[in-house]
Formats: sequence, C-alpha cells, structure tokens
Amino acid sequence: MNKELEHQFVTELENNQNIVHKVCTLYTHDRDSHKDLFQEITIQLWKAYPKFRGESKFSTWMYRVALNTAITLYRKSKRRVQTQDYESVIFKIKADEYDSTEEEQLKLMYKAVKQLGDIDKALVFLYLEDKDYREISETLGISEVNARVKMNRIKTKLRTILNP
Amino acid sequence: MDELELLKKDWQKKNDQLPKLTYNEIHKMTWKKSSSIVKWILIISILEIILPNLLYLIPSFRKSMSIYDNTIVDQCFVAMTVIYYLVVFYFVFLFYKRYKEISVLDSAKGLMRKIIRTRRTVKYYVIFSLSTILIFIGLVIIGIYLNDSFMDNFSEMAANTKDVSPEKLKTTLMVSMAIMGVVMIAFFGGVYFLLYGLLLRKLKRNYKELKRLEV
Repeated sequence: MNKELEHQFVTELENNQNIVHKVCTLYTHDRDSHKDLFQEITIQLWKAYPKFRGESKFSTWMYRVALNTAITLYRKSKRRVQTQDYESVIFKIKADEYDSTEEEQLKLMYKAVKQLGDIDKALVFLYLEDKDYREISETLGISEVNARVKMNRIKTKLRTILNP
Repeated sequence: MDELELLKKDWQKKNDQLPKLTYNEIHKMTWKKSSSIVKWILIISILEIILPNLLYLIPSFRKSMSIYDNTIVDQCFVAMTVIYYLVVFYFVFLFYKRYKEISVLDSAKGLMRKIIRTRRTVKYYVIFSLSTILIFIGLVIIGIYLNDSFMDNFSEMAANTKDVSPEKLKTTLMVSMAIMGVVMIAFFGGVYFLLYGLLLRKLKRNYKELKRLEV
C-alpha cells in the first residue's frame, strides 16, 4: 500500500514539477539552493500527501505546500551569490519571440520581481499562475479585499523599481 | 499594469525552459530528511527542556542541596521539586500539542501563527526554567549564609582551606554561586534567544507584513 502511495505521489509530482521549479526560481538565487528548496518542498509534500484526499486538484494543493515551504519552513541557504548564468537560464527570453523593447522590459520585470519581499513574491507568483483573488487570499490567509489592495501596492512598487 | 500582463504571458510559456527531474530523482528526494525550521524548533526545544534538568545530575549540585539540615526546608525542597516537574510536564504536553498543530496545509498566515505560538510556549518554559534556577541558587546562597556548619558538606574542600577564615570562605562561596548562576542563566537564555532570533527572523518579518494588511 505504502509503495503504491509512493508511486502515485512521485508520478503526480513528476507531472506537476513545473510549479515547484517556478517557486524555487522565485525564491532562490543559485542552482544549489534551487535544488535544496526543491528537495525540501518534495519532503513536505510527501509528508502531507496522506492527508491529500483528492478534494482539490493535486496541483492546487501543491501551490499551498510549495509556497508555505518557500516562505516559512525553508531556512535560507548561506550562499547568496547570484550567479549570472543561473538567472539567464531560468529567465531566458527567446529573442525571436519578442521585439527588443519587449525583451528588455521583460528582463527588467523579472529582475524587479526577484527584488520583492517573500509575501509580495507569493502574490505575484499566484497572479502570474492565473489564480483568482479568492485562491490567493485563501493560500495566504488574508481577506480577498486585502489581497487586491496588496496586489495594487505591489504593482506600484514594481513601477517604482522599473522607473526609479 | 501592462508590464505585468506581458510578464504573465511570458511566465506561462516558461515551462519548457525549466529543469526537468526524472522519476528516480524525485523518488530519492522523498527519502531525504527535512531541515525545515519546524524541525529545528523541535530539536532546540527538546534541548532546552532536557539541559536545565541535567544540572541536578551534577554531584556538587545535589550536595549543595544538603546545606539545609532543617527538615521543614527539606520538605519545601521536595514540594518545590514536585511542583517543578509538574510544570515541566505541563509545558512538554502543551509544546507537543502545539507542535502537532503545525501543518504545511494551513494558509501562510495560519502556519506562521502556529509556529510563533509553539515558539511562545518554549519561551515561557525557558523563562520558567531560568527563574527556577535563579530561585534555587538564591536559596542555596541564603542557606550558606544561615548555616554555620555548611563546610561539613564539602569535607574535601574544608581540609584544603583550614587557614582561611570561615567568614571569608563563606563570602567567596556565596559570590561564586551567584556568578555561576548569572553565567548559567546568561548561557541558557543567550543560546535560546540567539538561536530563535536567527531562526525566526524571516518568519516574524513576513508574519508582521501579513498582519499589517488587516489593520
């Protein structure tokens, strides 16, 4: 039974691993901590998996566990060296898809998002993942109104970072 | 904000650029040990609960308890010890209950609140434990002061210090007890508040940010 559960879990996570990678990308600064955080999220997901009863989609459930681990449970790695090649691989922008102004704008936006605080990042992440304010507010434990207010403040903050 | 919409579109196309782990790599990770702050809170808390109690195993500590040859005081010590352990067990129970309530499935704010609450239980325990040590050392110092034949309890030491006047010896012993008390409290308290301060700095900042939204 346990083996079956384990197989089910690993398969689900393998199929949905992009969510975890995206969280790791936002919250870490180098490959090692990316891997470290991915591992911690996997452990937390696995520990909580027996409580996952399939009431919601596996991916929906993952958002909460992954963000909680990144924001609260994960102890930040001592290494804070921001390696250029890590950034460029993750946020690589395909030159042929955009004109150069758009490309430049995107680069600046990704940089600006990385500069935000943990909570702001979580909001932006859920927003980018196309989650509605109800889900954002439930994941973070704040009211829907406050989630909207906070998102507006973040937009202003991003604008300030982009146009100092 | 147009830029954020632009970012959203790009973000959703990112999937093929992300790393891909194989089934086996993920499977291996499920067997690794967690190093989350909750795990660290558990380790530090267990140490904080065990360490002060280990003091009673040190022979000189037990010996110094015998400075009172008065049975009433002896009984008081017994009663105090019983109360002390009852309180310790209560704290252990409360800590276990709160620790169990911490769930990664909670909302971000709920999870942080529960971690802070668990930590608060340990904080109160540490304050209680340090106060007990302080009271105990205070009682020993008073005991030395009131008891004229206290040196009999330290027969070895008495033999080596024949030339020193009993009064001077008494003062020296009282002062060293006081210093020992202060050092011990500074050590336990210092280690605890330093470790927790470092461990929970990020969490507290984030929790405050979420709470500020409610105002």
